[in-house]
Amino acid sequence: MSSQKETGPSWGPRAAHTLLNKDVPRVDGPAKVSGRAVYAHDVRLPGMLFARVLCSPYPVATVEFDLEAAKKLPGVGAALDMGVKSVRWLGQPVAAVAADTPERADDALRALNAKWTPGKWVVTREQSLAEGAPAVGKNGNRGRENSQGDRAETEAAMQGAAGVVEAVYTVPVQHHACLETHGVTVDYRGGDEAKVYASTQSTFAIPEGAARALGLKAESVESIVEYMGGGFGSKFDLGFEGQLACQLSKQAGKPVHLLLTRAAEFTSAGNRAAAHFVMKGAIGADGKLLALLSDIEKGGGVGEGARMPQPYIYEVEKSWTKSVGVLTNTDSSRAMRAPGHPQSSFAMESIVDELAYKAGLDPLEVRKKNLKHEAYQRQLTRVAQEIGWPAHPNKTAPGKAEGRWCTGIGFGVSVWGAGGRAECQVDVRIGRDGSVSSAVGSQDLGTGVRTYVATIVAEELGLPVTAVTARIGSSRLGQANGSGGSTTTASLAPAVKSAAWNARTKFAEHLAQALGTEATNIHFAGGQVEDKKNGKKLAFAQACALLPQEGLSARGEWVKELAGNGIHGAQAAKVRVDPLTGQVEVLKMVCLQDSGLPLNRLTLRSQIAGGMVQALSYGLLEERVIDPDLGIALNANFEDYKIAGSMEIGEIVALIDDDDQREQAIGVAEATCIPGHSAIANAIFNACGARVRDLPLTPDKVLAALGRT
Amino acid sequence: MKAFKLHNPSELEAALALLDTPEARAGKTRILAGGQDLLTEMKEHLAEPDALVNLKHIPGLDGIAAGGAGEIVLGALCTLTALEEHADLGKRLPALTQAAASIASAQIRSQGTLGGNLNQRPRCWYYRSEHAPCLKKGGKECYSYGGMSKYNAILGGGPSYIVHPSDLAPALVALGASAELVSKKGARTVALEKYFTLPSESDVTRETVLQPGEILRSVRIPAPKANTRSSYLKFREKGSFDFALASVALALVIDGGTIREARVILGGVAPIPWRAKGAEAALTGQAPNRATFEKAAVEAVRGAEPLAHNAYKVPLTKGLVIRALEELCA
Amino acid sequence: MARIRRMSNTSDPEALSRRRFLRGAGGVAAGGVLVHGMLSAAEPAARAPGASSAGETLEGEIEIELSINGETRKLKCEPRTTLLSALRHRCDPALTGTKEVCDRGNCGACTVHVDGKPALACLLLAADMRGKKLRTIEGLGSPDKLNALQQSFWTHDGQMCGFCTPGFVMAIQACLDKKPKASLDEIKRSCAGNVCRCGTYPAVFEAALAVARGGK
Repeated sequence: MSSQKETGPSWGPRAAHTLLNKDVPRVDGPAKVSGRAVYAHDVRLPGMLFARVLCSPYPVATVEFDLEAAKKLPGVGAALDMGVKSVRWLGQPVAAVAADTPERADDALRALNAKWTPGKWVVTREQSLAEGAPAVGKNGNRGRENSQGDRAETEAAMQGAAGVVEAVYTVPVQHHACLETHGVTVDYRGGDEAKVYASTQSTFAIPEGAARALGLKAESVESIVEYMGGGFGSKFDLGFEGQLACQLSKQAGKPVHLLLTRAAEFTSAGNRAAAHFVMKGAIGADGKLLALLSDIEKGGGVGEGARMPQPYIYEVEKSWTKSVGVLTNTDSSRAMRAPGHPQSSFAMESIVDELAYKAGLDPLEVRKKNLKHEAYQRQLTRVAQEIGWPAHPNKTAPGKAEGRWCTGIGFGVSVWGAGGRAECQVDVRIGRDGSVSSAVGSQDLGTGVRTYVATIVAEELGLPVTAVTARIGSSRLGQANGSGGSTTTASLAPAVKSAAWNARTKFAEHLAQALGTEATNIHFAGGQVEDKKNGKKLAFAQACALLPQEGLSARGEWVKELAGNGIHGAQAAKVRVDPLTGQVEVLKMVCLQDSGLPLNRLTLRSQIAGGMVQALSYGLLEERVIDPDLGIALNANFEDYKIAGSMEIGEIVALIDDDDQREQAIGVAEATCIPGHSAIANAIFNACGARVRDLPLTPDKVLAALGRT
Repeated sequence: MKAFKLHNPSELEAALALLDTPEARAGKTRILAGGQDLLTEMKEHLAEPDALVNLKHIPGLDGIAAGGAGEIVLGALCTLTALEEHADLGKRLPALTQAAASIASAQIRSQGTLGGNLNQRPRCWYYRSEHAPCLKKGGKECYSYGGMSKYNAILGGGPSYIVHPSDLAPALVALGASAELVSKKGARTVALEKYFTLPSESDVTRETVLQPGEILRSVRIPAPKANTRSSYLKFREKGSFDFALASVALALVIDGGTIREARVILGGVAPIPWRAKGAEAALTGQAPNRATFEKAAVEAVRGAEPLAHNAYKVPLTKGLVIRALEELCA
Repeated sequence: MARIRRMSNTSDPEALSRRRFLRGAGGVAAGGVLVHGMLSAAEPAARAPGASSAGETLEGEIEIELSINGETRKLKCEPRTTLLSALRHRCDPALTGTKEVCDRGNCGACTVHVDGKPALACLLLAADMRGKKLRTIEGLGSPDKLNALQQSFWTHDGQMCGFCTPGFVMAIQACLDKKPKASLDEIKRSCAGNVCRCGTYPAVFEAALAVARGGK
């Protein structure tokens, strides 16, 4: 990069990038593929105790347990009664124990000999809304109602429409299913300080709560997040699991390892809200969406559930939307990757599709007609091309449900903000020995943060990525925001760039003095430092040797101009359906996604592909099942809560929309998982006329939709 | 898991003696083969044995060998991978190797055994929950009957509505296999078709005739007749790794353009591998064509009694029977 | 390790006649039985070290030796300690590359190699693993010296959060060890028991195929 008369950092022209906007293998790849990456679950400390949490198997119950019996067992170092005598949601924690081996911890949990007396509950929408249902909250089972728009006007706008569709679309509760369960390993040994190794999306959300639970000052507690095994929106705070770990640790004066079991991870670590959409829409003969009524009931457990916007993305002339949470005695929903959007997408994309077919119109053209942003026009055209729509025989009517396989195509679009804010503080250090490091307390969820924390600095200094050590994941390092809302990239990357720029210009100033030249003549490229005036070159390490003893440090903070906001994506899916069995195979999925400046094309494509895969899994397989009468969780495991595996994955095509030339860093994590399942549902209809309006799109429902049951 | 003693006998006699004690007969001692089901039961505290008798140190239990008259003898400790990959078995008894290949995952197949697969306990999520005291665990009720019955039986159900989860079972029944059981009292042979028991006809807490003190030692398959073709088609909700929503094991003798003999065994739809005799009758003496297959499919599900959430298994099973016949007779 | 078929002292006449039949059947490959031209895949059972003919019984606190990644590791555990728990919590230094995710055999994250075969450490008893050659993810390579598959995962971005990655690498490596030129379908089947929540499957397949096709 050159040092013209610059006023501040800029990403620079695309053509000039040496590392950004290219494929850069993750700097933490080798650690991950060789099993050397240490997650909270992997931390081992002397005298460490293993903890287990007693969670309610019933939605409403009173409980008795024998803490003393547990404490008496050999190896038990601590035990806690949370003081909860009656629970109001399935999975609610009431006690915890800790022992010196995992087996003894399990024994201690059993030794509590918990006796549950089930009460009266509601766990489904129907139960909750039934006359005389037990109340979940103080104010009954319906939360606050929100509505927007004019119902009467919207109804009126449906008069004389070319097509009207009334339908109910439903999505069940789904789970984040992070592979690393929630929890922490607390390194506290009875003194004045502690380290908390947390599986979290927010390094800086941990120390204060942990310190309180440990009875320490906040600044005496460091939280460490070198690696974490997935969050997807569910890991933003210390949680009851972190809280309990700290309390047990304080009690025992020993380190405590508390990572939830898989069953508890399902019942007690959050979920994506269910939804029941009663929709009525109308379309004009020209394909214009005339009106949409949406009556939404959200199932967020004891919580309200995410906001589910309708009309979702598409322009509808007149609309009315009412939304309310319907409470149940189950774990509150939490943010889950694009909260509310995948649910809204399913209902909206389905009804847009149904309206198009009803009016005898091409569902692709109807979409284009009703989308404002020009990005969608080119994105839909491109994905349609990629998926083979132009040559596809069934466009305005579905294929027949006959033969060995019926092939169909469906579409969906996404939108997200993903803007940034001023919160991150990044430090770059250049050592006299030639070492370069870039440090910030941010976490990397698998999003590739660690890599761009190195890459941005490396490019700025004209170095290979391997020359920069990225230090992240500690609350002792510079501030960073939690990874939510896809805001990390737009918040952090500009701050990294700013720190790198500050370091480079400072270095250039110093070198200018040492070499007797102007700072604006100093260029960093190809691992070398060049004085452009006289062509003299130094290896980077040689230039570093000219630094003072303490090397050079620079801090960077947010630069608004380097961050962007507002991304769009279009997706298409091609499926084949066996009309005799209802089997659905997703042959291909395509996504064209914009994202401002791609910091790393390799990891960006992984985010795009990953989002499609998650939506495929969500669409085809996932739902939480609770027995409404017994109240027990029936699939709190990976056997019956089914997540897509290798054989479900066909061709996945992740395309970066290079027509988006914004020189701005924007996050993309959530947008990519929004419409995939909707596209699949539409593809199933296009294939054989089976319209499934309830996720997941399992064979039983396809058969029912085909009238075979 | 609850703590236990691990016995590693090196002789079959010693193992049988360990299984013959009063505690063992009371269910406090369990057999450990591959452990791919047993350990999951123990982790859920559905089984809390005081002792395990590990069969893997006893020689001679894991062979794949020839018996008399072209019979094939499979040791109960054969791994599922060994069955899956056996080239000769694959040629002569494709239903068996296809069934083996469809089980679980590669990791589970490498340790899971023939005996363990046949003797595994149900997957019914009420059975597998500590908090549902169902019939199979000595309780008073089958919770699937009025409950979440999506994965339960449509044929032969009642009073328990589990489906037998084994893939090898339908394939081996189609192939006319028999099981050799040994105990301190001696040995007995049971046709595999009679090995599995209906809840309406037998002790509802068991799925097989295996008694306390007995070990399944081997499975024998008679030499397939000339012109036999066989297959196993498994339908899963999650194709990567799942138990069958429904499956079809076929063994047909086709000669001169006519189906001379047919065995049609359904999996995933009944508490036992379900011999679809009506389908067999509809195939026998007929030409292998679509019309025949459709008749067989209708017969296969005749008498099905779906529960609230598993009516789909009726058209699914019909469709699967047709697909299986089409593929086998192609 | 040599495999020796022990003569049973059973008086079961059927067993005796089978043995006579097998001995007379001609050449016997190591660990196999040749019958009617049909080579059995049978493998003789491992012997517990120091076991007598009456066998051994393990209970309470035990000390065992396991061969892991070519090294002998002594560790204290119980009969009920799974191999997964032994690797992660009883080995010192701990081998935490093998992950605990579901502990029920449903996700593949704890895949290890037992005598070259892929298996789930959570469904194996540590004490049952004596006499076996165990390999964990750490044994395939280290960050400075990755094996070909690990290297390919890295360059194709076959990992995001990385928690499922060791399991996938081990499952696919076992497949490639047996069949170096495995097809896409064979690769997919080899890891059909593995779950990735971040959705890295497409890159994982690319990485594995690159190795199978002989490139990088």
